[in-house]
Amino acid sequence: MVDQLPNRGREAEMLKEMGFDSMEDLFADIPEDVRFKGELPLPAPQSEEEIIADARRLLGANQDLGSRPSFLGAGLYRNYVPAAVFQLVTRGEFLTAYTPYQPEVSQGMLQAMWEFQTLVSELVGLPIANLSLYDGSTAAAEALTCAVRVHNRKASQPNTVYVSELTPPDKMSVMHNYCQGADISIKTLAHKPDGTLDLEAVEAAAGSCGVYIEQPNPLGVMDEGLVGLKAMLGDHTALIVGVQPVSLGVLEAPGHYGADIVVGEGQPLGSPVTAGGPLYGIFACKQPYLRLMPGRIVGRSIDVDGNEAYCLTLSTREQHIRRHRATSNICTNETLIALMGAMHMALLGPDGLADLAHRNMAACQALKERLSTVDGVEIVHDAPHFNEFAIRVKGSASACLAHLDQHGITGGLDLSRWFPDITDQILVTATDQTRSGDIEALAAQLALWSTHAEVAA
Amino acid sequence: MSHLFGHNGAEGEGYSQPAPLTTAQTPSVPSALVRARPARWPRLSEPEMVRHYTWLSKRNFGIDTGFYPLGSCTMKHNPRVNEVIAQLPGIADIHPHQPEHQLQGWLSIYYEMQHMLAVVAGMDDVTLQPVAGAQGEFTAIRCIQEYFRLRGEDQRTKVIVPDSAHGTNPASAAMAGFEIVEIPSLEDGRMDLEALAAVADETTAAMMITNPNTLGLFEADISEASRIVHDAGGQMYYDGANFNAILGITSPGLMGFDAVHFNLHKTFSQPHGGGGPGSGPIGVKSHLAPFLPGPVAARDEASPEDVHRSLDGHIYRWHEPEHSIGKVQQWHGNAGAVIRCWAYYRRYGSGLKQMSEHAVLNANYLRHAIHREAKAAGVDHLFEDGAETEVAKHEFTLSMQPAKEALGVSAMDVAKGLLDRGYMAPTVYFPLVVPECMMIEPTETESKDTLDTFAEHFAQVLKTDPETLHEAPITTPVRRVDEVYAARNLCLKHPFDEA
Repeated sequence: MVDQLPNRGREAEMLKEMGFDSMEDLFADIPEDVRFKGELPLPAPQSEEEIIADARRLLGANQDLGSRPSFLGAGLYRNYVPAAVFQLVTRGEFLTAYTPYQPEVSQGMLQAMWEFQTLVSELVGLPIANLSLYDGSTAAAEALTCAVRVHNRKASQPNTVYVSELTPPDKMSVMHNYCQGADISIKTLAHKPDGTLDLEAVEAAAGSCGVYIEQPNPLGVMDEGLVGLKAMLGDHTALIVGVQPVSLGVLEAPGHYGADIVVGEGQPLGSPVTAGGPLYGIFACKQPYLRLMPGRIVGRSIDVDGNEAYCLTLSTREQHIRRHRATSNICTNETLIALMGAMHMALLGPDGLADLAHRNMAACQALKERLSTVDGVEIVHDAPHFNEFAIRVKGSASACLAHLDQHGITGGLDLSRWFPDITDQILVTATDQTRSGDIEALAAQLALWSTHAEVAA
Repeated sequence: MSHLFGHNGAEGEGYSQPAPLTTAQTPSVPSALVRARPARWPRLSEPEMVRHYTWLSKRNFGIDTGFYPLGSCTMKHNPRVNEVIAQLPGIADIHPHQPEHQLQGWLSIYYEMQHMLAVVAGMDDVTLQPVAGAQGEFTAIRCIQEYFRLRGEDQRTKVIVPDSAHGTNPASAAMAGFEIVEIPSLEDGRMDLEALAAVADETTAAMMITNPNTLGLFEADISEASRIVHDAGGQMYYDGANFNAILGITSPGLMGFDAVHFNLHKTFSQPHGGGGPGSGPIGVKSHLAPFLPGPVAARDEASPEDVHRSLDGHIYRWHEPEHSIGKVQQWHGNAGAVIRCWAYYRRYGSGLKQMSEHAVLNANYLRHAIHREAKAAGVDHLFEDGAETEVAKHEFTLSMQPAKEALGVSAMDVAKGLLDRGYMAPTVYFPLVVPECMMIEPTETESKDTLDTFAEHFAQVLKTDPETLHEAPITTPVRRVDEVYAARNLCLKHPFDEA
């Protein structure tokens, strides 16, 4: 610990100069009855060498995704992040800065975030983007409360939003926590057996404050029906679309088919999966939402000499100014991870992003083609998929996944985790990191499982 | 200037990628969904990209660049080994939905962090799920809300906050649906017990307060405040933003609090990354534990037949609290940040008290040194302490009101003058109870020499003639930025051809 405390050994000298006798004098204002007695019951301090050895040992006990074929996605996607991104993002000037409250010495991050806002705006086809929320789920939840703030006055279904029934329960739970304080009621939108949105059911949502739906949807389906959605909903209901950003290399930007707010989990652009955090939430919107939206925004301005300069702007929406009337309580966000996203996007360029999207889609297609030849495995939805799709297996999904695990394969998501009634389906995911060998290994083991399950039955 | 959108960018794809996997049928997007107009941004070759972001980084100030005495933000050194650890595949390349037996190492580190935070805060249970301090506040207030709902005390609709509280406190409570009752502070910035007693009643759900307070003073009456709120049937919530001052010395539990959030990125040195990521776990007393967001890490001792698959004799698992409020983030929190903070904690272990002692030593020493140097330079009449006190805790405040009155020099002028001398400015104009406030927090990772030199520069800034100071900064990448212009001429993205 000595290396983290430059003044160890100089305590007496410093105390003496202040006229104190001991460290204890500095804490004389803390009443005796709230004092800790004795030493903290924690292990002894460690050196850097011991810490990294322990970290390697403990983290080495985890089965990292890269060590075996893995088909787990379901909202987080294994990708390749170019080395330059990691090298640059750990530059101390970015890594160890606080929120840019002093713009004169924070131009680097401010400009980088203004550029990030532009990249997101272009990606999703909307004019305004903030510089990140915590993750895809909080971005979706904040989009719902934002939609209610904007539309509640004219809504025929005030305080009401509609959310796709396919939304993963963990994300739904975040939405519930963010919405309950504002008395917002969350209703669900049904899907058809083919995995696409039931457009007839959408009529019920007209006149509500907002509709949240994902593209591709949580079961991997690219749903054409969304293109006509805004016309059905009208001007006073926000169409909120959740995206997998890599897909926008080939998929139409939701802003171009009427989305009012686009949110999403930014992770596939720029960041490893990292056990589900830190990630970054994308939030972009149209003009009418600007002054009631959550999160920090950078604006381009000038300095006293008239030179181009950047600063945080529209802060009067935020908690440090507006306190309990703020549009959100968010303060710390995910700037550094958003910066990684910006770096990745800059390296890719729009064409490179299209290539990356195509690789994801091709891997998914290759997986689907191969699994459709495996006896006992059924592709649940005959639909175009982007990263992932549901398969039906013999027996229970959980037993099948355990079988795959025993044979060195992380098989995917047991869909009963999302939909308790569905016990024989697995969401299998392919990304740009999926290799043909991985697919072959999965297909072979699924074939074995089918035989095994037949015999057991 | 280097502009991302000023680069012409070569045609075609960016960095080279492997060929797509071969498929029998070409994968295709439904025709109505084919992207009609590609996004407009240049692709940069790696040499251009590296140079662009390196150029930007040189226009940014971090702790690595220089002294960063930003009050309330605890800008301590970020050890580099933590970055190395966070990149290990055992954390960077794992998925939260993997089966528990594939995640024993991660679970064990989560378990250890939950335990450590409970110990230092005097709490019974901890969740690591909230990803920032403000989200921790929101999460704890939601737990308190559900606690009262289950008890049938739905009439508890109010949350009390002092007027000196961080803005996130009232914002978080309001987001959960509470009415905010703000109570004034005493003239010296301390909590007003009479004002508290006057508003605490059967409608009170909680009081949110930080201790040491935002002036860097320890609220000695905190136990009495807890008694008042508890007698009214309410809960006490501890804002952990200033936790760095008290580890191993006192704890929220000892002060009578029921719930606390931690800013791991402050106290345990997750790098702040220019605005995030953070990590905002919460700790609670046992009566609130069933309401925590799930899952939390739990463990069982391995039976003899399971020892071969155990980690250090235990088998770890996720646990879903009985009356959980559900989730505040889709996964299990900012695991990458928690791992860095775990590595930081391991440096200190049982010696965390020394961290807080040195934080307080440095704050008091810097306050002393500033007065000393100002006196020597004959400028000690230009400011005064924000609060009369023998000792401060991890931070202290100064009021520049005398300089404002005598010379027309504001706290902002002094802040900008410090930028010219290679320092990050302290927090200015917060807390509001101190006129022309500068809030200064050196942290424990600054040397005495740095503090002495900063004090000299602080005095020299005050000696600078006011006209020159109004012009500051002049050595920074840009000079004073016009925030009003930014708000009136909104330009939130590159205008492309539309300009």
